[in-house]
Amino acid sequence: MTLLLQLLVNGIVTASLYSLLAVGFGLVYRSMRFFHIAFGAVYILASYAVILMRDTFGFPLSVSIIIGLTIGVVGGVLMDRLVYLPLEKRSAGSGVLLVASLGIYILFVNLIALIFGNEVKILSAGIAPSYTFGPLIISRMQTVQCLMGWLLVTVFWFIIRRNTFMKGVWAMGEKQRLVRVLGLPYEFMRVVVFALSSLFAGAASLLVALDVGIDPHVGMQALLTGAVAVIVGGVDLFWGWIAGAFLLAVLQSLAVWQFSARWNDLVTFGILIITLLFRPQGLFAPIRRREE
Amino acid sequence: MKQEGLKIKKVSKSVNGLRIVDGVTASFLPGRITALIGPNGAGKTTLFHLITGELFPDSGKVLYRGETITCLSPYRVARKGVGRLFQDVRVFENLSVYENVASACYKHKTETPWFPFFRPGRLRTIDQQISEKVEYWLDYVGLAANKDDSGSDLSYGQQKLVAIARLLAGGFSLMLLDEPTSGLNSVMIRKVLSLLEKIVEEDKEKTIVLVEHDMSVVREIADWVYFMNEGKIAFFGRTDHVLGDKEVREIYLGF
Amino acid sequence: MNYILHLLIMIGIYLILGYGLNLVVGFGGLLSLCHAVFYGIGAYATTMLMMKAGWTFLPAVGGAVIITAFFAFLVGFPALKFRGDSFVLVTLGFQMIVFTVLYNWVEMTRGPYGIPGIPRPSVAGYEISSLPAYLLLVAVMLGISVLVLFTLYRSPFGLALKALRDNEMAAEGLGKSPVHLFLFAFVIAGMIASVAGSLYATYVTYIDPTSFTLDESIFLLVILLVGGSGNRLGPLLGTVFMILLPEALRFLGLPDTVAPNVRQVIYGLVLILFMFLRPQGIAGKYSPR
Repeated sequence: MTLLLQLLVNGIVTASLYSLLAVGFGLVYRSMRFFHIAFGAVYILASYAVILMRDTFGFPLSVSIIIGLTIGVVGGVLMDRLVYLPLEKRSAGSGVLLVASLGIYILFVNLIALIFGNEVKILSAGIAPSYTFGPLIISRMQTVQCLMGWLLVTVFWFIIRRNTFMKGVWAMGEKQRLVRVLGLPYEFMRVVVFALSSLFAGAASLLVALDVGIDPHVGMQALLTGAVAVIVGGVDLFWGWIAGAFLLAVLQSLAVWQFSARWNDLVTFGILIITLLFRPQGLFAPIRRREE
Repeated sequence: MKQEGLKIKKVSKSVNGLRIVDGVTASFLPGRITALIGPNGAGKTTLFHLITGELFPDSGKVLYRGETITCLSPYRVARKGVGRLFQDVRVFENLSVYENVASACYKHKTETPWFPFFRPGRLRTIDQQISEKVEYWLDYVGLAANKDDSGSDLSYGQQKLVAIARLLAGGFSLMLLDEPTSGLNSVMIRKVLSLLEKIVEEDKEKTIVLVEHDMSVVREIADWVYFMNEGKIAFFGRTDHVLGDKEVREIYLGF
Repeated sequence: MNYILHLLIMIGIYLILGYGLNLVVGFGGLLSLCHAVFYGIGAYATTMLMMKAGWTFLPAVGGAVIITAFFAFLVGFPALKFRGDSFVLVTLGFQMIVFTVLYNWVEMTRGPYGIPGIPRPSVAGYEISSLPAYLLLVAVMLGISVLVLFTLYRSPFGLALKALRDNEMAAEGLGKSPVHLFLFAFVIAGMIASVAGSLYATYVTYIDPTSFTLDESIFLLVILLVGGSGNRLGPLLGTVFMILLPEALRFLGLPDTVAPNVRQVIYGLVLILFMFLRPQGIAGKYSPR
C-alpha cells in the first residue's frame, strides 16, 4: 500500500515534467500541424546553456538559469525563422519539414556533444535533502519539479482561456489559412508559439537536469514523451495533453513497480500505437465534431 | 443480357448531422452523356464519392451493371469499371505521361510482386500490348508528343487530358467526370467536349456522367440532365427541357 | 587492403538495406523509421538458427527471411493504416518497442551482453572466413537482392506503388489497392533487410541490440534522403556517401573521440540543406511531401 502511494506520488511528480513537455510539443504540433523533432534539441540546448553560463562564465545559478532559458527560447525561435518558415514559404509539405527538423535535431545534439562531451553533466546545486511524510519520501528537488511544473501549466492554461491573442493562436491549428486572410499577425504568432514551446522545453529540461544531470542524447526521449502525451491525450484538447502526460507517468511508474524501468519504452509506445489504432483522436477527446 | 448502366436507389448520406444527399434515386444509361447540375453544396460531388466508395451511404443502394457496389472500397469499385475524373485532376506528378496512362492499364493480377517472377514471358507480352494501347490513347487525346514529360510539367488542361486518357486506356465503362471543363480556356474546352462526344459515339457501352457548372457546356453535350438541389433530385429530363424549366432557372441560373 | 575490403563489405550490406527500404520510401512514399528492426530481427534470427538450432548458413538465412517477413507483416499491418506524420510516429513506436524487447529479453537475446562467437558462414562445405571470400558472398547476396528488387522496381507492382505514392486517391480510383500493395512493399523490404542482417551478424560474429537502434533506422532513412529514392541510382549514391564520409573524416586526422559527432553534425547539416536545395536528394525521382 505504502509502495503504491509512493508510486502515485512519484507519478504526480513525473507527470508535472511530462506535462511541460506535452505543452511545449503540443503548442507547435497543434498550431503548425507539423512534427517539431528539434524540440528535443531545444530541450538540451537550454540546460547546456545554463551549464555553460555557470561553469564557464561563473554566473550564479539563478542568473545562469535566466540566460539559459533565454538562449533556449531564442534558439527555438531561430529554428523557425531560419528553417521552418522559409521552407513553408516554398510550400514544402510536412514530410520535408519533418526531415529538416530531424536535421536540426541531429545537428544540435552533436554540436553540443562536441563541445561538452557525450557523457552526463551534473548541474545540481548541492545535495538535495528530502522530506518524509510518514512512510512517504519526497526529495526537495521533486517538490520543486512538481510545484514549478504544475504552476507553469496552470498559468498557461489560464492564459489560453482568457487572452484573445492566445485564443487566436489556438484557432490557428484549425484554420491556418484563415489567420492569414484575416490579417492576423501570422508570423508574429509563430514567434510566440515557438518561444513558448521552447520555454516549456527549457523549463522541463532544467528541472530534470538540476536533479539527475543531462547528456546530449536525452532530447529524443523528451520529445517522444511530449509527443506521445499529446497524441494519446488528444491533440485538440488542452487538458487532454495533461491527462495524457499523467496517464503516461502513472503507467510508467506502475511498470517500474511490476517489472523494471527498462520496459518503460514498451509502455510508452504501446499506449501510443494502441491509441492511434483505436482512438486516433485521443483517449480523452470526444468523437470529433466539426464546430462551424 | 442488356447492360443497364448505373442505378442509384434511395441513397442518403449525412455528415455531421447534415443531410448532404437525401434519398437520391437516379439511373445513368450507357451510350449517353448525363449531366448532374445544381447549385454549390447540392451534394453532387458527395454523390460521386458515394458511388466510388470514398464515402459509404447511410442507406440506399448503388448498382452498376446489376451488381451492388455499395460499401465496396474505392479500388474494388474501380475494378468493376467505374472510373472517375477528380475535380482537382490528380495526375501522378512524378510519373511521365506515358506511365500515368500505363498505370491505369495493368490488371491487378499483374500487379502482385510475384507476377514478374512467375510469369516473366506473359508480362513481356502484356507490357508490349499496354505500350501499344497507351500510344493509341495518347494519340487519341492528342498528347502523343508529350509522352515523356512528367505529370507536373503539363499545363492544367493537358493534365485533364491525361486523366481522361487514363480512364479511356483503363477501359472504364462508366466515367464520372467532376467538372471536366472548369479552369480550362475555350480551346481546351472545345477539345475536351469533342473528345467526350467522340467517346460515346464510338463506344455505345460507355456511360458518361458529368458534374458541370457551365450551362452552355451542358446544353451542348448532355443528353439528359439531373438537377440536384439540397441533396435531392429536383428535376430530371431532356437537357433542353430541364434547362428551360422556370424553377430550375430561378434556383440555379438566377434569371 | 583489408581496410578497403572491409569498406566494400559494409557498402554491400548497406546497399542491400538501402535498396530494400527504397521500395517503401522511394516507391511507396512512406517515411519508415523502423527498418533497423527488420535488419536486427534478421541478424538475431540467423544467429539463433545457427547457434541454437544448429542450422547451416543458407538455410538459416532463409529461415530468418521468413521470420522477418512475419514480423514485418505484424508491424506493417497496423502501421499502414496511417500516412504522413502518423506513419512515421507509429513505425518509430515499433522501433522503440522492438529495441526494448531485444535489449531486455535477456534469456532469449542476452540483451546488452550481446551474442559473441557467431560462426562464420559456410556454403557448400567451404567456410567463408577470409575477407575476399566474404566480400564475394556479400556481392552474391547483393546481386540476388538487387536482381529481385530491380525487377520489382520496373514491374507493374512498382508502377502501381509509384502511382499510389503520387496520389493515393487517384490511384485507388484506378483500381490499385493501397492496403495490399503497401503491405507487400513493406514486407518485402523487411525480408531484404533480414538478408543484410544475416550477413552483418556472421561478418562481425558478434551482435548486440545497439546495432539496431532508432539511430540506425534514421541512418538508413538518411541514406535515401541524401542519395535520393524512387530509382536505382539514388540508394547507391546515398550509401556510398554515408559510408565513405566517416572514412574521409578519418583521413583528415580527426581523433576517434570526436569523429562520430562531427560525422553526425555533417549529416544534420546535409539534411537541412537538401530540404532547401534538393528535397529529392542527389539523384532521386521523388521528394517527401
